Amino acid sequence: MSEHSKKTVVPPVNVSRPEWSIPIDPVLQKELERQVLVTSWNQLTELADTLYNWGRRSSLWPLGFGLACCAIEMICTASSRFDISRFGAEVFRASPRQADVMIVSGTVTKTMIPVIVRLYDQMTEPKYVISMGACASGGGPFKEGYNVVSGVDKFLPVDVYVAGCPPTPNALLQGLITLQKRIDGETLSDLPWYKESVEREIPIPVLGPDLIDLRTVELAAERTAMGLIEKREAGLTKPVLHPAPQLDLPPVSEQPKPETPAMSKAEQIRARMQAGTAAELSAAPVTATPAAAAPTTVAQATEGPARPKVTRKVKVAEPRPSLRWLGNEGLAGLNARLNDRFGAGTSEIVKAGLLVPAEAWLKVARYLKDENVVRYNYLSSLQSVHYSDCIEVNYHLDSTLEPGSLIQIRVRCSEDEGLGVVPSVIEVWPGADLQEREVYDMMGVQFTGHPNLTRILMWEGFAGYPLRKDYLEPYYEGPTKVLESRIADGQHVRSEELNPYGTNLKIPKDFKGWDSLDSASDPKNQVLPLAAEGVSVSAIDSESFVLSMGPQHPSTHGVFRMNLRVDGESIIGLKPVMGYMHRNHEKIGERNTFLMNFPFTDRLDYLTSMANNFSYALAVEQLMGDDLKVPERAEYLRVIMAELTRIVSHLWSIGFQLNDLGAFFTPALYAIEERELILDLFEWVSGSRMMCNYFRFGGVGFDLPPGWLERCRRIVENRLEAKIDELDRLLSTNEILIERSRGVGVLSAEEAIAFSTSGPVLRGSGVAHDLRRAIPYSIYDRFQFNVITHAGGDIYARFRVRLLEMRESVQILKQALRDLPGGPILPGKKSYQVKVPAGEALSRTESPKGELGFYLVSDGVIGAAYRYHIRSPSFINLTALERMCLGHTIADVVGILGSLDIVLGEVDR
Amino acid sequence: MAFGRGLVVGHLVTLRRFVRTFMVGAGRTWQRRGGGPQRVDFFQSPERGLEPVIEQTDETEGIFTVEYPDERLKVHERFRVLPVLVYDDADGGIRCTSCNICAKVCPPQCIWMTHAQGPDGNPVPVPEDFFIDMDVCMNCGLCAEYCPFDAIKMDQNFELANYERHQSHIFSMQDLLVSSGYYAETHPEAWMSADEQSERAKASKKKNQRLQKALSSSGDVPRLD
Repeated sequence: MSEHSKKTVVPPVNVSRPEWSIPIDPVLQKELERQVLVTSWNQLTELADTLYNWGRRSSLWPLGFGLACCAIEMICTASSRFDISRFGAEVFRASPRQADVMIVSGTVTKTMIPVIVRLYDQMTEPKYVISMGACASGGGPFKEGYNVVSGVDKFLPVDVYVAGCPPTPNALLQGLITLQKRIDGETLSDLPWYKESVEREIPIPVLGPDLIDLRTVELAAERTAMGLIEKREAGLTKPVLHPAPQLDLPPVSEQPKPETPAMSKAEQIRARMQAGTAAELSAAPVTATPAAAAPTTVAQATEGPARPKVTRKVKVAEPRPSLRWLGNEGLAGLNARLNDRFGAGTSEIVKAGLLVPAEAWLKVARYLKDENVVRYNYLSSLQSVHYSDCIEVNYHLDSTLEPGSLIQIRVRCSEDEGLGVVPSVIEVWPGADLQEREVYDMMGVQFTGHPNLTRILMWEGFAGYPLRKDYLEPYYEGPTKVLESRIADGQHVRSEELNPYGTNLKIPKDFKGWDSLDSASDPKNQVLPLAAEGVSVSAIDSESFVLSMGPQHPSTHGVFRMNLRVDGESIIGLKPVMGYMHRNHEKIGERNTFLMNFPFTDRLDYLTSMANNFSYALAVEQLMGDDLKVPERAEYLRVIMAELTRIVSHLWSIGFQLNDLGAFFTPALYAIEERELILDLFEWVSGSRMMCNYFRFGGVGFDLPPGWLERCRRIVENRLEAKIDELDRLLSTNEILIERSRGVGVLSAEEAIAFSTSGPVLRGSGVAHDLRRAIPYSIYDRFQFNVITHAGGDIYARFRVRLLEMRESVQILKQALRDLPGGPILPGKKSYQVKVPAGEALSRTESPKGELGFYLVSDGVIGAAYRYHIRSPSFINLTALERMCLGHTIADVVGILGSLDIVLGEVDR
Repeated sequence: MAFGRGLVVGHLVTLRRFVRTFMVGAGRTWQRRGGGPQRVDFFQSPERGLEPVIEQTDETEGIFTVEYPDERLKVHERFRVLPVLVYDDADGGIRCTSCNICAKVCPPQCIWMTHAQGPDGNPVPVPEDFFIDMDVCMNCGLCAEYCPFDAIKMDQNFELANYERHQSHIFSMQDLLVSSGYYAETHPEAWMSADEQSERAKASKKKNQRLQKALSSSGDVPRLD
C-alpha cells in the first residue's frame, strides 16, 4: 500500500514514456502547443479579449452631450472634415443608456455636475470617460471661478485626458485613439464592471450652500465647524471698495507726492489700492469732505506711518455712457424736464448719467418711454455696480426710433447684503426680466414688483452674492492679478492646496443644514404658474403638467434647460432655467488686468471670438479716448475679421436651425465646410481656430501672414457666395421648411423691441435696427451694405435674415479687402501694461447674435476693471422665449429656440 | 409655383453634392486614402511623419474629409497649443532670464518659476525651474507674445492625450524645453523675420552681460566667453 502510494508521487518527468522524454526545443514546443490546439484557460480568454476589445473599441458611441466651447470642436470632429465615424464613433447617442463613452467637453460647473454624475450613473457598463480640454481636466482658465469644478475627475473616473483649450478636432481624435489603445489592453478577467464587489455608482453631489460631495460630507462638516474658510479669508488682501461717483464738482487738484522706492511693484500696487482710492476713482471727491478724507482713514490704519505716496495722477476719461449718446446738452434738457415734471430732486446729472432716486424711478421710467421727446422704448442694458456706499443699478436706454440717443440712468440702493431695494421696471420694459433676476442673483438687490424674482445663474440656497466685492471665492488669492504667489515664491502650488477643503468649496461657518442635503433635490427647478396670461388651449380637457427639458438635451444648444408647462401638446407656460454654464466670467474679469480679458472674451460666445474681441477692445478704447488712435489698416482688419466671424456664426446657426427642424445634419454639414475654410484663415492669422485672441487695444495683435490676403479674397469671392446660393436653393423654397417655420414663434415688432431683443431676432420682426448702421462704430460708416429685415417675425423670417445677412457681409468683405491699406497695425509699441483712465464705458457692437456690449468701470489705478459686465445678446434674447412659444407644441419650442441662436457661453457667462 | 418645386430643387442640390463627392478628383481621393494601425485594417497606415499633408483651400472640392491620423491637415505656423521654452542649439543656454513677464501677463496665472541663484545667493538671470499647469493654460499665447527674450514660444504639438493628469499635467522645465532648431523648423517665418533675428542678437548680448554681471558679483567665476 505504502509502496504503491510512493510510486505515484514521483514527478512525471521520470515516468518512462518515450514520447514525453524526448527533449525538444522550448520554442518548438510552444509552437506545437499553439498549432495542435493545446490551449489553456488564459489563452482562451485572451482570444476572447481580442475579440471583445476589437468590437468595443470600434464602436464607441459617445453620449451626445456638450458643455462648453470644447463641444463645438467635438461637433466639428463629427462633421465631414474630421469625420469621427471613421473610428466607429459617429453614433452620438442622446440617451446615456445607449452610450459607451462620455466626452466631457468643456467647463464642468457646480450647477451641472449633479446632472453629469447622474448621466454617468445611467450609462450602461462598460463605459468610458474622455475629459476634453483644460476645463474638464482641471478647471482650466475658469478654475478660480466660484461655480467651477476643478476637474471632472473629482467625480468621475476619467480614462483619457485630452489637453488643449480647446483641443482641436484632431486632438480629440487622437484622444479617441488613445482610448482605443487603452481598450486594446483590457482583459475580461479584471474589468471592474464584471466584479460584483465593486461599487461603481457615484453618489450625486448636492447643491447646498455650495456644491457638496456626499462622499466627503463628514470631512466638510468638520472643517466648516472649525471655520477654516473664515480664518483663511481673514489673512487675505480684499478688494477695495470705491465710493460711487457723485455730482460733478470742479475737480480738486492733487499734489504730486514723492515716491518711496523701497517697495516692490506688487506692494506698491496693493498699497495704492488701499490708500487714496476715493480721491482717485473719480476726479470728483466723494462727499463734502474732499480729497484728504479717504487716505487718512483706510490707509493709515492698515499700513501705519510707512504709507506710500502716490505719484501718478489718475487720468480720467471723458464722462460719457457710450461713444454715441444723447450728449451733454440733451441730457441737461432731459434732466430739467424731469425735475420740472416730477418736482426738483427727481433727477440729477452724475457723470453723464441721470441719478434718479429709487422712489421716483418707476414714474420716470414711464415718462421716458411714453412721453419724452425721444421715446426710450429700448432697454439696451441693465447691470449693477457694487460701491462702498451703495449698489448702483445702471440702465442704458436707447430708442429704436432715434438710435444713438443713449442715456444712462443710475438708481441706487442700500449696500448691505440682500437689503437693497429698487422698483422693477419689468412692466415698462419687459426686457428687464432676466437682467433684473441676474442683478438679484449676483448682487442681492431686490426688485419690488418683479413677478418671479429668483436666482437665475446660481441656485436657490447658494451662500452669498458672488459679484459683490466682498464675496471671496473659495480659491481667492488676491484682488487683482498678478497673484503674488506666482511671482514671490515660484513653487508650483495648485489652488486646491490653498483651500482648507482641498477643493473649490466654501461653506459659511454657520451652515447647519447638513442633514437635509438630498441627492434628489433640484434647487434650480422653478415652480411654474399654472398658466401664463393670455393662453387658451382648446384641446382636450386634461390636467397640465410640467416638463423639464434640458440641461442635457440634444436640441437645447448646450446646457440650457426649459421648464415647460404643457396642456396636452401645447405649451401654456415656459421658464428658461440657466446657469449650467455660469463660469464666473465677470468675477474673473474684475481680477484680470485689462489685457488678460481678451482671451477670456473669446470664450463668451465661442463661435464668434473675433466679434467679442472687437466689442471689448472698443470699450477700453472708449476709456482711453484720443490716447489710442486705431491705425487704418487695423480698422480694416478688424472689420474683415468681424464679418468673417458673422458668416461663420450664421452658417453654423442656419445649419443647426435646420437640425432642430428635422433636416438632420445635411444642411449643417454643408454649412460647416465653408466655416472650416474660414477657421483655417483664423488659425493662419491668429493661431487658433476658435479662440482667436486677435485684437489688442488700439489695433490687432498680428499682421497678415504672406498669402493670407489672396486666399481670403478667393474664398470670399469664389466660395462664400456659392455656398450661400447653395443653402438658399436647398432651403429657402423648401415646402417642408416653410410649413414647419412660417407662423411659428411669432414675435411682433413691438414685442421684439419691448423684450430688448437684438440682432437677427429683432430684424426678423421687421425692425431695421442694426448697430453697424444705427450707431456706426469703427469704420462701418464707410461700407455699402443693406440692413436686412423680414416682416414675418417667425422662425422662417429669422432664418432668412441670417441667410441674407451673410450676403451683405460678403459685400462688406469685398469692399474691405479691396480697400485694405498698408501701414502699422498698432498705434505704438506692443505693451502688456495698459493704462486705462478712470471712468465708465459701454461698447455697443452688432455681434452676429445681436447687440454685444461691454460695460466697464475703471478706477484708473489697479489696472483691472472695477466692474466688468457683458451685455450679452443671447441672454437677453431669451427673455422673449416664453412669448414666442406659448400655444405651440414642444417640437416647435425646439425650432424656436434654435431660431434665437443662443450660445450658452454667452447666456451664462 | 407648383407645390413641391422647392423639394425637388433641394434634392437636386444634394444629388449634385453626392455626385461631385466621388467625381471630383477621384483619382486623388484614392491616392490619399489612409488606413488603420491594425492588421485587419484594409489599408495600412503610413509611417509616422510621412503622412501626406493636406491643405484645404478655396479650390477644395469633392471629399472634404482629411483622414487624421493617416493624413494631416496643414498646421499653420502661428497655431498654438501649449507654451514651450526655447534653448539655443549653439550653446545649450536657455533663453529665459526668469524676468517673470510671462507669469505677469498670463491670464489664468498658470506659470510659475524659480530664479536661479549664484553661489553666494545672488539671483542669476536663468530660471532654476519653470512650471506650467496645462490644466489651467488657455493656449492664448500672450506669454509668447510679450516675452522680451523670445524665450517662451507656442508649440504646435496637439497630440497630448494621456491617461493621467496629476503626475503629468504640470510641465516642469525639463518637459518644456525645446531646441531653437525645433523652433526654427516649426516656425520658419517667425524665425527668419527681421524682428526675431535682431531680437535674438540683442537678447543674447543682453543676457550675456547680465550673466557676467551676476557671476562676477558672486565671486571669481571664470568668464564665459
